[in-house]
Amino acid sequence: MNDMSILVAGVIGLLGAGLYGLLAVRNLFQVIIALQVLVKAAVLALVMAGYASGNLALGQSLGVTVIVADTVVAVIGLALAVQVKRHLGTLDIKALATLRR
Amino acid sequence: MTAWLVICTIALTWLGAGAVWLVGDSRPRWQHSLAVTFALAAAVTAVLLIPQATDEAVITLSVGGMFGTFTFVPDGLSVFLTAVATVIGSLAIVFSVNYMHGEAQLGRYYALVLLFIGAMAGLALSGSLFLLFLFWEITALCSYALISFYNDDPKAVRGGVKALIITQLGGIGLLLGALITRTYLGDYQISTLLAQADTLPPNILSLLAFGFLIAAMAKSAQVPFHTWLPDAMEAPTPVSALIHAATMVNAGVYLLARFYPAFAGVAGWKTAVATVGMVTALLAALMAMVAFDLKRVLAYSTVSQLGYMVYAVGVGGVFASQLHLFSHAVFKALLFLGAGAVIHAVGTRDMRQMGGLRRQMPVTSVAFMIGAAALAGLPFFFNGFWSKELVLEMGLEGGPLWAYGGMVLGAGITAFYTFRMVWLVFWGEPRGAAHAHPAGTAMRVALIPLALGTLTTWLVVGPFGHWLADTLPYHHLHVKTTAEFLRDIALAPATYVAIAVVGLGLAAWWWRDHLTGLAKDLRGLAQFAANGFGFETVNRVVVNLTQRAASALQLTQTGDLNWNVVGIVGALLLVLLVLAG
Repeated sequence: MNDMSILVAGVIGLLGAGLYGLLAVRNLFQVIIALQVLVKAAVLALVMAGYASGNLALGQSLGVTVIVADTVVAVIGLALAVQVKRHLGTLDIKALATLRR
Repeated sequence: MTAWLVICTIALTWLGAGAVWLVGDSRPRWQHSLAVTFALAAAVTAVLLIPQATDEAVITLSVGGMFGTFTFVPDGLSVFLTAVATVIGSLAIVFSVNYMHGEAQLGRYYALVLLFIGAMAGLALSGSLFLLFLFWEITALCSYALISFYNDDPKAVRGGVKALIITQLGGIGLLLGALITRTYLGDYQISTLLAQADTLPPNILSLLAFGFLIAAMAKSAQVPFHTWLPDAMEAPTPVSALIHAATMVNAGVYLLARFYPAFAGVAGWKTAVATVGMVTALLAALMAMVAFDLKRVLAYSTVSQLGYMVYAVGVGGVFASQLHLFSHAVFKALLFLGAGAVIHAVGTRDMRQMGGLRRQMPVTSVAFMIGAAALAGLPFFFNGFWSKELVLEMGLEGGPLWAYGGMVLGAGITAFYTFRMVWLVFWGEPRGAAHAHPAGTAMRVALIPLALGTLTTWLVVGPFGHWLADTLPYHHLHVKTTAEFLRDIALAPATYVAIAVVGLGLAAWWWRDHLTGLAKDLRGLAQFAANGFGFETVNRVVVNLTQRAASALQLTQTGDLNWNVVGIVGALLLVLLVLAG
């Protein structure tokens, strides 16, 4: 097993875990965690692509950029979750769906 | 120089819109004067543009990418429509000083009107199809917002939304045309399309031709898309009058006239255009005959006259259509402003409540009757007569005989409803209890130049024709001097047929008491016409179907995150499959 296949397996594993989380969970905090896992797959993929193309610095800098952006997303998501809890009294995402007929 | 004039014409109105907005509603006097100043300045630059007309692009902006190159080409057709839009638009604003006096939210009103005038000028002047589409959509948005100006009145809001939806339908045709042109010819330039139209595959060219025809039909309120224009009459009179009836609807005719050289060879296109024009002219005239709302009669008559212009393009008379557009813009603006003054004075739009107003409003009534004579096509002194005769003459020469017959019949009906309207409003005995007061100064200031224009613009037919022909390399217009024009029209047998039919229309109103037997027989038709020939029902069915489809599709919008993720992942897998396969 070489480096590349470990990396690919990591990307696919993180991606799968994140997507499964988004599909399955109903608690808003867990949704945010799942989203974080999903984005980590993207960061790993960027670094891997940089490594594979011999341009590791570019891959790493893109990875850092994604981490920064992703942190902002996480913070805003958590802030929204706090507001949701205050207004609706629950963190269940089904309660957010107002488009119900 | 020319480039600056083009920029100023558009920019002045848009700057004015911003200025009026920024001044705020607490200073209405400032708003009135700012709006009038900017609108008049734009009108002056547009008029100064007339001697500068050229068929070359004076402004070229390379936007790059999918947007291509934005160009402005002030040729005859463009400058003419720009001048019509800005001059009539500024008259509307002058008129608004009286009409909108004391209304709330003047900022929104003036900003939208100015934005609209600028967009209309941009639409006419742009030489790139994509830019044309952008301006086309801006005019549609402004018109929607202006029709719904009284946004606490559900009727006004409904009218606005209806106008928006119907004109959007046309916008799709236009966008499609722009994209097809780019795909096949490499850029969006109108001149490229006109020059290389015959290199396109025939089926693509006919797709383009009919797409543009639908766009023009929706914008110019041609049957079966005409239903939005009468409903647009909920707007404040200066808007419904000048903005819709005298300006925006011309965009469709402009589009047809602009692309006539490219599409004239498409099988069936000319016949389709002529038929649309004829059917519209006839049906709208019939509806005008039975309407009692003064503004609605004028709206239907606008639809009907637009039918004449579309018909003129369809029989190859591009110049005739532009001449009629010119005459119509002048006399219809006059009629609408006169109607606005009347409505402002008596406080109702129902003609049954009016009558005998000529003694109370002498200036308005004389001006209105001049406009009405031009609309009816009364001979010799009115611009409407000459342009309508030219349209009919072109129809006899270049179009099918049945369509010509329909148009002549339409001319008779026009005379009939015009006479009926004038009679109900200004003659007879006062029927309403309301006391009328004469029009304000600003209203009269806007009326008098238009009345003079109605009496004189036919004298410039020769120079107007040469000016158009010089700057339109693809249209091959056959133009003559004024004297030749007038002689040809005065000697053509078609003219006397039309005069006789117009006379019959007038006579039918005069001896209407003797025709009661006939009127009884036609009661069914009148009822049908009063109901808008059932097009309103068709409209409602379409609206209901759309709404039902929307609520059926609501099932797919759960608002549930889990299901949305399923959708995203599914779409991703689909894309991967397509890429792999």
